[in-house]
Amino acid sequence: MASTLIEEARVALGGIGDLFSGLVSPTVRLGVTGLSRSGKTVFITALIHNLLHGGRLPLFNAQAEGRIVRAYLEPQTHDDVPRFAYEDHVAALTGADRAWPQGTRRISELRLTVDYTARGLLARNTHGGQLHIDIVDYPGEWLLDLPLMSMTYEEWSQATLQQSRTGARLPLAGAFHAHLATLEPDTPASESTAQEAARLFTAYLADCRTDDVSLSSLPPGRFLMPGDLEGSPLLTFAPLEVAPGTAARRGSLHAMMQRRYDSYVAHVVRPFFYDHFARLDRQIVLADLLTALNAGPAAVSDLSAALSAVLACFRQGANSWSSVFTGRRIDRILFTATKADLLHHGSHDRLEAILRLVLERALKRVEFSGARLDVAALAAIRATREATVRQNGDILPCIVGTPEAGEVIGGELFDGETEAAIFPGDLPADPAQALDGSMAGTIRFVRFRPPKLSTLPLRTSPAFPHIRLDRALEFLLGDRFR
Amino acid sequence: MTSTRRPTAFRLPETEDIELEPDLPEPPIVPTQPQPLGLARSFRWGSVLASAATSLILLWAGFALTGFIEDLFARSVVLGGVALSLAGLIALALLAILLREVIGLIRLNALGSIQDDAARAIAARDAVAAQQALRHLRRLYGRRPELAAALVDLDRHEHDIMDPADRIRIAERDIVSRLDETAGRIITRSSRRVTLTTAVMPAAALDILFVAAINLRMLRDLATLYGGRPGFIGTLRLARMVLSHLAVTGGLALTDNIVQHVLGRGLIGRLSARFGEGAVNGIMTARIGLAALDICRPLPFITRPKPGLAEFLQQVGDFSPEQKA
Repeated sequence: MASTLIEEARVALGGIGDLFSGLVSPTVRLGVTGLSRSGKTVFITALIHNLLHGGRLPLFNAQAEGRIVRAYLEPQTHDDVPRFAYEDHVAALTGADRAWPQGTRRISELRLTVDYTARGLLARNTHGGQLHIDIVDYPGEWLLDLPLMSMTYEEWSQATLQQSRTGARLPLAGAFHAHLATLEPDTPASESTAQEAARLFTAYLADCRTDDVSLSSLPPGRFLMPGDLEGSPLLTFAPLEVAPGTAARRGSLHAMMQRRYDSYVAHVVRPFFYDHFARLDRQIVLADLLTALNAGPAAVSDLSAALSAVLACFRQGANSWSSVFTGRRIDRILFTATKADLLHHGSHDRLEAILRLVLERALKRVEFSGARLDVAALAAIRATREATVRQNGDILPCIVGTPEAGEVIGGELFDGETEAAIFPGDLPADPAQALDGSMAGTIRFVRFRPPKLSTLPLRTSPAFPHIRLDRALEFLLGDRFR
Repeated sequence: MTSTRRPTAFRLPETEDIELEPDLPEPPIVPTQPQPLGLARSFRWGSVLASAATSLILLWAGFALTGFIEDLFARSVVLGGVALSLAGLIALALLAILLREVIGLIRLNALGSIQDDAARAIAARDAVAAQQALRHLRRLYGRRPELAAALVDLDRHEHDIMDPADRIRIAERDIVSRLDETAGRIITRSSRRVTLTTAVMPAAALDILFVAAINLRMLRDLATLYGGRPGFIGTLRLARMVLSHLAVTGGLALTDNIVQHVLGRGLIGRLSARFGEGAVNGIMTARIGLAALDICRPLPFITRPKPGLAEFLQQVGDFSPEQKA
């Protein structure tokens, strides 16, 4: 497609620009990739907080060796994109009623600058040890749109309808299916029909992501999180019963839907991707496996499908000298199972094994592309401590924290104030069980409130506690602090 | 078992059979001390042995001299007593030396077992092996003032959640690699000495002896630096390990830098044949030192690049007044 070619050329041109600006002020674009509610905002906040406050990051070499001189937030560079509301998120996390940040509703970005003592001769004499880290935060729903770039309206319709007739989705799609049956693609277009179809389709998508279903693959993302497009005609389309390859008759409902889908892809999805994701240097993929495991195997395989489709849109691979002209690729990718603080560290290996299985396709692709990859269980902010409880002669590895109000486990309802030790169950030794449904009822992960930050006067680093954030940082950025 | 382990919640104040993860300890203040120059020597039992033995021989000589004149039997009780105590001293010194050799061997083995544990922790993600390796490391370096602060730091990470390989990585970066610089100086010093000795030694047979002695001392110093404390037998055993290590890796190291060798040797050799020989011996010593580094360093090179021969080569021919390691 011509537009794709133009965009690719822009990416390559930008790459050449990066080469020169990179010599004087090196910049690394960190792509934080994750579906809605996977913890992107919390990860970004924790990362910045730990770097700003010199948190305990023993595995992040530059920090552990004392080579980080200072880190600070730059004033917003792009005037057309809001700044990441770091201060607000920290205030929410540390305030009197400690709460996790609200779901992200629009795109925002931030530039973190780190001054460090450079080791290399070249680094010392060119930029003197300064690294800019550019991070973008965005609603995870929007990420689901990326696969649409390579789909026609008919293909998308077929895939979406097929999906809506399977498993847990079928009962939720009742009203939408009923309305769909009354639609004839070849009838003349009518605005009210299109609006009604879009409304019912949106309602179906919204139902699919309630906690007990927790499905992930719900494009188009703007239907669930419209951002500034609320009420725009771009969002008034819905899938129709059309087979791929059928040509739309002029003036028909099919033609109108198709046009709106195409402009959605052209005016919403493409700019989103090319403005923010096409020139990433490093990528971290956050997958909220635990919530999916809570909801059952259907949610897990849906997460797998959604993430794999999204990840296929990124340019991964090893960089060489010619990458300057063809556009840089993402050369390091870290796949993480987030919220690892919801289970005892003894189970982290099993969680990683499940993640490896769930993202097998994406991992294979990355491995084949030549990019470096790693898999880790991560908690950007650790809300719990660990403990062991003796019960009936059995030692249960537990986690201790304050469960959020309304969380239920074993018939116990929490009020959001009581501290409790939770045994969430054992993850299976065989990761395949996470997908075959044989572990129903054996696990239950509870959401916790953010941790209280220690306020001891002599404590030097009141940064958020974490699990493996330092390892993630070292893997993603460690080589840029040479 | 799994069927009984259902998800459960325990309310905190009421639950009694609970063992909580300890709070993060406040970092204690550790005074940093400069590293003492040279390697501290303990009480010398060897000299006790030598002096006791010589005094006994002297005694015997004196005894033999005067024995004819004086009545042996009349004085036998006192003299016998002195002789007996001296003999006892000899026995004690011998025993102490023996004990030290055994301890030296045990410590050398401890280095090896740390290496094994670390390899297992990294390759098989074995948490127990990692703990064990760190425990041994702590025991090995617990009394070194220059490592005290780093060891305290390591203890603070003990309850952090991290992978076994990452624990080893931190220990290598914060503790073991601090000793590398001294190790480098030991190797440089020895190879420089070998070069000089070979160059100025008049007799060819003599320089073999000197080179061997300098090399053995280097091995001993390296092992002592990394926590082994080999005696004579330990050093010999170390030498054997180093030689077999060289036999395995020597070929690799040779191809690695052969161009530089030929060039360097050619140039120096043309200036002076003796000096060329010295340079070759010096390079050999540096290579032996590198092999010994591999064997003595309790943790593998992970966060630091492994030093190569090239780093020592340029210093072999540098005879500016050397800094004492």
